Amino acid sequence: MSAALGKTSYRDRTPEFLSVAERLKKSISSGSNADVSSSSSGKPDGTRSAVAVQSEFNKRASKIGFGIHQTSQKLSKLAKLAKRTSVFDDPTMEIQELTAVIKQDITALNAAVVDLQLVCNSQNESGNISTDTTTHSTTVVDNLKNRLMGATKEFKEVLTMRTENLKVHENRRQLFSSSASKDAANPFVRQRPLASRSTASASPAPPPPWANGSASSSSSQLFPSRQSDVESQPLLPQQQQQRQQQQQQQQQMVPLQDSYMQSRAEALHNVESTIHELSSIFTQLATMVSQQGELAIRIDENMDDTLTNVEGAQGQLVRYLNSISSNRWLMIKIFFVLVVFLMIFLFFVA
Amino acid sequence: MKITALLVLKCDSDSSDPIILANASDVTHFGYFQRPSIRQFIVFVGRTVAKRTPSGQRQSVQHEEYKVHAYNRNGLCAVGFMDDHYPVRSSFSLLNQVVDEYQKNFGESWRTAQTDSTETWQYLNDALVRFQDPAEADKLLKIQRDLDETKIVLHKTIDSVLARGEKLDSLVEKSSDLSAASQMFYKQAKKTNSCCTIL
Repeated sequence: MSAALGKTSYRDRTPEFLSVAERLKKSISSGSNADVSSSSSGKPDGTRSAVAVQSEFNKRASKIGFGIHQTSQKLSKLAKLAKRTSVFDDPTMEIQELTAVIKQDITALNAAVVDLQLVCNSQNESGNISTDTTTHSTTVVDNLKNRLMGATKEFKEVLTMRTENLKVHENRRQLFSSSASKDAANPFVRQRPLASRSTASASPAPPPPWANGSASSSSSQLFPSRQSDVESQPLLPQQQQQRQQQQQQQQQMVPLQDSYMQSRAEALHNVESTIHELSSIFTQLATMVSQQGELAIRIDENMDDTLTNVEGAQGQLVRYLNSISSNRWLMIKIFFVLVVFLMIFLFFVA
Repeated sequence: MKITALLVLKCDSDSSDPIILANASDVTHFGYFQRPSIRQFIVFVGRTVAKRTPSGQRQSVQHEEYKVHAYNRNGLCAVGFMDDHYPVRSSFSLLNQVVDEYQKNFGESWRTAQTDSTETWQYLNDALVRFQDPAEADKLLKIQRDLDETKIVLHKTIDSVLARGEKLDSLVEKSSDLSAASQMFYKQAKKTNSCCTIL
């Protein structure tokens, strides 16, 4: 019995297989009825459990294979979405959802494959099955693992492609619109903490205008509405010029808020760093003055020494003076000696 | 570094023109015959800018050689006409102060104003005169300026301390020389005293 279905032809031998299974079951059950001994009942039970385990294995393997197939289909969808992204119509939400789903699937499949491998190993260890079955089960597990690895690799490639695309879009967006878009994401992340800090502008109005006035697309939406507003009114040349400038300034409104806050933050930083510098200057000053204090002490000691020395010398001189001035009797004696010498000298010459 | 005018306006919605609540302008440096037209110009530009500033936003517009800064808070808008050198941040802090002061003085009465008010608000005129120097308006700028001056003074102090150090060095040397000389003197005197006791 052969049936041609699609591309492949197959022979449907299911009824034969079912009859064989029934016969086997009958033989097993008849065997167990005839033989009351535990060993024989144990054996058919063992074979039945072996069969049961094998079919369990097969069921799991087939489930995993199906899961991998579904995941790869979702991956191809994701790849198409990622390739498709254009500048303005970015299906970010879908892509992110799909990415999350695929990630979950892959982890679940991973866990299932690991389980399957454990089952296969335990099966191999428990024995009483043919080598063919073991090789078959190991091959199946390996095959599933390979397919899962292939799917994970594809997933990674799709993610890298998506990040590259995003970068390209960012560059293109920067090229076409001016600085407004570049700060589109950042000011709103930074604005809130600074807005709460600034004392004057603590009104609840700021977040909604910024949230509403995000990205260049919405500011360019303001643009056309202003245009229509302008054209409906009579214009003087000055007025026109003023409004044109206004429109140009409108787009820069959001960065201006941010730059105001930024400049305040910058000024505070400057003040803080100046104060730090001042403190370091003060410490330096203190060090220098203490060092010079030591010098002053040395000078003081030197002067004390000088004073002592000069006083001592003065004492000596005073004593000398006293001795000189009070020694008249000694001087008379000296004169006497001199006169005696003169006399002797005169005697010898004359 | 000049403020030409300060205005306080009430702008409720984008449909109607803002209503002027207070106006202070300094047009003395224009010729006498141009002053009325300059004043009108200020009024008109102020109205336009205030109309285009959404609530809770600050805005700066460059017009010829003036920068017009506007700050809108809950329908009360302060507009300032400054030249290009006036720092933007100081101008916004000045506008903040003006709005606060106005709310403190007049409470909520301005919300019912329907026509331009022609009476002068003395505070605004004083502010115009006082805040010609941006440091007055912006405390940060003032603090920065003071700190810079202090830093300069400290630098000079350090220089003088270094000079003092040098002088102290020379003093140390001289004093040590002096002490050595006095020691010699003492020894000499002792020697003179000790040698002539025989005679």
